[in-house]
Amino acid sequence: MLILIIGGFAAGKRDYARTLGYQDEDFTQEIEDEKPVLWGLQELVYQDPESAMEMLPRLLKKQAVICDEVGCGVTPVDPRQRLAREQTGRLCAALAARAQKVVRVCCGIPTVIKE
Amino acid sequence: MCRSNELCPLTFLFGGSASGKSAAAEELAGAGPGPRFYIATMEPYGEDGRRRIARHRQMRADKGFETIERYTDLENLILPAKGTALLECLGNLAANEMFSPAGAGPEGALGAILRGVEQLRRQCARLIVVGNDVFSDGVEQYESSTRQWIAVMAQAHRQLARQADRVCETVCGIPLWQKGAAE
Repeated sequence: MLILIIGGFAAGKRDYARTLGYQDEDFTQEIEDEKPVLWGLQELVYQDPESAMEMLPRLLKKQAVICDEVGCGVTPVDPRQRLAREQTGRLCAALAARAQKVVRVCCGIPTVIKE
Repeated sequence: MCRSNELCPLTFLFGGSASGKSAAAEELAGAGPGPRFYIATMEPYGEDGRRRIARHRQMRADKGFETIERYTDLENLILPAKGTALLECLGNLAANEMFSPAGAGPEGALGAILRGVEQLRRQCARLIVVGNDVFSDGVEQYESSTRQWIAVMAQAHRQLARQADRVCETVCGIPLWQKGAAE
């Protein structure tokens, strides 16, 4: 995987990816298809938090992965919500460790935090 | 152990859940002079709590930390020797001070935390404090005690960041130095 793009909800992550030359047809929410940019990773984690880390090898085959940052709030009381939030963070940290480049988008402004 | 008039260097580190705070803090503390103390503020609660604590203990196991469990009243904690201390984490400490019977109460919590950190700085060669970014999912959906806790956390973060020599945010396991520089 080349690039991990993270940031809060609706922060401008896909808009940033478009500046890299990706078109609408390049975006996907299917982990198995051939499209280069997977977005909304957090939704996949929340669907099945227990096995979230198993997605890692397949995610690394994408050119770019886009994920909401979900950990900067109050820890949820519900155990499943709590686990999903943790797993999103851990999966992003694992992706960041392997990515060539990590970009954090805030208010539409991209900041490269690893290159 | 005597308390000194001098305050040791303070590194304040914060980030969201599962953002790599603990690993980064332990790496920083591992680079400081020994002996190394880990001041754990989390009271084990339920299976999830025990699992988290076990995970953190495992991460510390080979790094030579002596664990000191302390849930409130840091101000009166006496460390066995002068070395490097890692205080983790502010979120639990604030909740304990505010809501547990042994705590300083909602009004007294912030002062108790800040005085506690100051007293630790008088006993250490180096202190690392771990905070929690709990500020970015709004407060409207929470009841008043949770809002009050978020407010105490925000004040503690601002004051400790001001006092700290270095401030580091962790994002996806990546340290972002917001004040001072990486060593």
